[in-house]
Amino acid sequence: MTPDAQEQHLFAQFVNGRDARWQRVELHVTPTALRITRPDGARIEWPFDSLRRAPDQAGRDGIVLSQAGDKLARLVLKGKGPAEQIAGLAPNLTQRPPFENLGRLLKWSAAALASVAVIIFFLVPVMANQLAEFLPPEGEKALGDTTFEQIRVALDQTGLDPVQVCDRPEGAAALAKMEVRLNPYSDLPYPIRVQVLDHPMVNAFALPGGRVILFKGLIHAAEAPEELAAVLAHEIGHVVARDPTRDALRSAGSIGVLGLLFGDFAGGTVVLFLANQLINASYSQDAETGADTYAHALLEQAGLPPSALGTMFQRLKDKHGDAEGIIAHFASHPQLEDRISAALAADTGEAPERPVLDSDEWEALRQICGEAPARIPEPTRDIPPLKEPKAPDVVPSVKKG
Amino acid sequence: MTLSPLKTEFVGDKGAVFRLALKTGLLTVVTLGFYRFWMKTRLRRYYWSAVRPGGAPFEYLGQPLEKLLGFLVAVVFMAFYIGVVNLLLMFVSFSLFQGNFVAYGLSFVGILPIIFFAQYRARRYVLARTRWRGIRFGLEPGAWGYAWRAALYWTLTILTAGLLWPLKAFALEKYRTDRTYFGSLRLHQGGRWTMLLRAMRPLYTAAGLSILGAVMLYLSENPAWMLVFLLSVPWGIYGLAFWRADSFRRLSETKELGGARLTSAPRAGRVVGIYAGGYGLIYLCISGVLMAALALVAIIAALGVSMNPDAILNGDFSSIPGWVATMIGVLTYFTVFVLWDVFHHAFVKVPMVEHFAIETALVDAQNLSDVHQRDRDEFAEAEGFADALDVGAAL
Repeated sequence: MTPDAQEQHLFAQFVNGRDARWQRVELHVTPTALRITRPDGARIEWPFDSLRRAPDQAGRDGIVLSQAGDKLARLVLKGKGPAEQIAGLAPNLTQRPPFENLGRLLKWSAAALASVAVIIFFLVPVMANQLAEFLPPEGEKALGDTTFEQIRVALDQTGLDPVQVCDRPEGAAALAKMEVRLNPYSDLPYPIRVQVLDHPMVNAFALPGGRVILFKGLIHAAEAPEELAAVLAHEIGHVVARDPTRDALRSAGSIGVLGLLFGDFAGGTVVLFLANQLINASYSQDAETGADTYAHALLEQAGLPPSALGTMFQRLKDKHGDAEGIIAHFASHPQLEDRISAALAADTGEAPERPVLDSDEWEALRQICGEAPARIPEPTRDIPPLKEPKAPDVVPSVKKG
Repeated sequence: MTLSPLKTEFVGDKGAVFRLALKTGLLTVVTLGFYRFWMKTRLRRYYWSAVRPGGAPFEYLGQPLEKLLGFLVAVVFMAFYIGVVNLLLMFVSFSLFQGNFVAYGLSFVGILPIIFFAQYRARRYVLARTRWRGIRFGLEPGAWGYAWRAALYWTLTILTAGLLWPLKAFALEKYRTDRTYFGSLRLHQGGRWTMLLRAMRPLYTAAGLSILGAVMLYLSENPAWMLVFLLSVPWGIYGLAFWRADSFRRLSETKELGGARLTSAPRAGRVVGIYAGGYGLIYLCISGVLMAALALVAIIAALGVSMNPDAILNGDFSSIPGWVATMIGVLTYFTVFVLWDVFHHAFVKVPMVEHFAIETALVDAQNLSDVHQRDRDEFAEAEGFADALDVGAAL
């Protein structure tokens, strides 16, 4: 510091933090401190190493200074020159006081996590299981309709590629024939509604109120109509057991709680959707076994081979054994072997007296969304894991355990 | 004794706010939303320090971590309500009404008092962390009193199709103002609610015009009435801006603090201009960003073989592989989301705060120097409930 600079008269505004006086004070730079001379002549000194600067302040030039340990007094310097001069002398301008309530923060973090965990993993599932038993059929149907629309929106996250429901009349007729052959109606208070989504994913799932959704990719992956009928029977098994209703109620409860946690930082939807996927990824092992058992009985009653379910699983395993995404979960899991052998064991060994669809009908079903590939396609590798639907369920039992 | 009015300076700057909002917005996305407590704190520090009545800046002293703490406290209580109560409502709604709208409706009505409660508590927190000339502001406890009054006045407003909006606005402003302190001094809201009727006049006439136009169009089928109906739309927009400026002026000029008063003269035309210009700019900027993204995709497509760049530029996206489409979709979503907020700060909030600030001055402020400091209001809950419900105070 040159003597000249020390002779400079620097001025600033000062507040003492006890009353609201807005005082013009004179500043002097001493070797170790900033000396503040108030209008009444009183002097205070703020050592340079104790100076702190208020962060994120507006104004291109000028700074607001305080002294470490003094939470109230402030010095407001205007003008670029003085601000830079002082800033150059003070080494600890940007140091922050430590946060005082760290213990409390940790305690409440733990409490918040515990509260969310208890609600999402215990309270909501238990309640959903109980309430699903009491939901009347009309309510279940409405819930299924709502969930279906949500899933279509979710599958269409990019906004570039809307997912269509396929309904070519010949294919739909074939699908209806398959459904009639299975004839699950005595077990259900509402009709089954099977729909095909124009999406390459090899998957199928059930929704509350008797909706079963098949993806185009699954139809193309099946080599015989009996295999598709077996998957359909499995999904109907979930509907009869009301598994999708439980699942939908569960996500109704947990999605809001997750929204609470993540806030509305990005409309929340994407993260919410992903997070809910992780929690709600699957039905329980028991639910899957239950649906398989139901499917075996239904197929047998319809004069169709239960082993088709095993064949279908086996084919998916062979075809997509090393594929990425959902199929990997599904294919690598030992539980699948059990399901395959259970399906084979349930077979009576007799060939079906009459096939579920004749070859024309089967071709019509394969083309329900339009031109189908002549042969079974290679595993589709461009399915991102993002596009996994809610409760994907040919896959599911595998994810648990 | 100074008797000249203390004019308010505004030293904020669009570019600085743009940079701060962009930086903190990106960090918020990257941290899955948890940086939002820092983002809010830093932006408030900036805005507060930009507004300088009589040259003295406001200072915002809220801490991000105390906001996080308050949020966690709110989560502990709210998670139960949101999870369990919403599940029950959903069940009842689907059982009895075959739809979820009843559940959403009931859930919303049930949460309204908590929203009002949260808004008052958030205001208390923000005032307790605001200083001017080194003196803290403060708000007396009274959140439940505010919640039931707000519920009552809102009901009246809805029942009268908005006619009693001025009554609601005045009553709630008075409740808040009369419990507000600057250091040892208490603020007082004077005036009567009927003074706000004049601030509503353009809105009332716009509503009248549109009703008249619609009714006469229905009765006479003379297309001239269509013109009247259409005219009521821009008039209504002006009415909203007029209400905003004029109600602010009337409520400010009837506030009193230890003999000091405010004068205020915000202009409706300027408010309309800020909205029109601001949103126009936002629209242009976001479109520009989207066009750039589209061009980028087309360039990538031109370099690769599997996609068709011409088709993409013509809005046909079928040649884009699924995972690329998803990635582009997610990236675009977040970019637009962050940029919207950033542009909104720079083009709308900054000019709006500036206009209201520089048009407002403090008169007869000579007694303010005698004001004494008030004790710190610890208030560990901060604005947690407002944050959890996403109804935080402005800014």
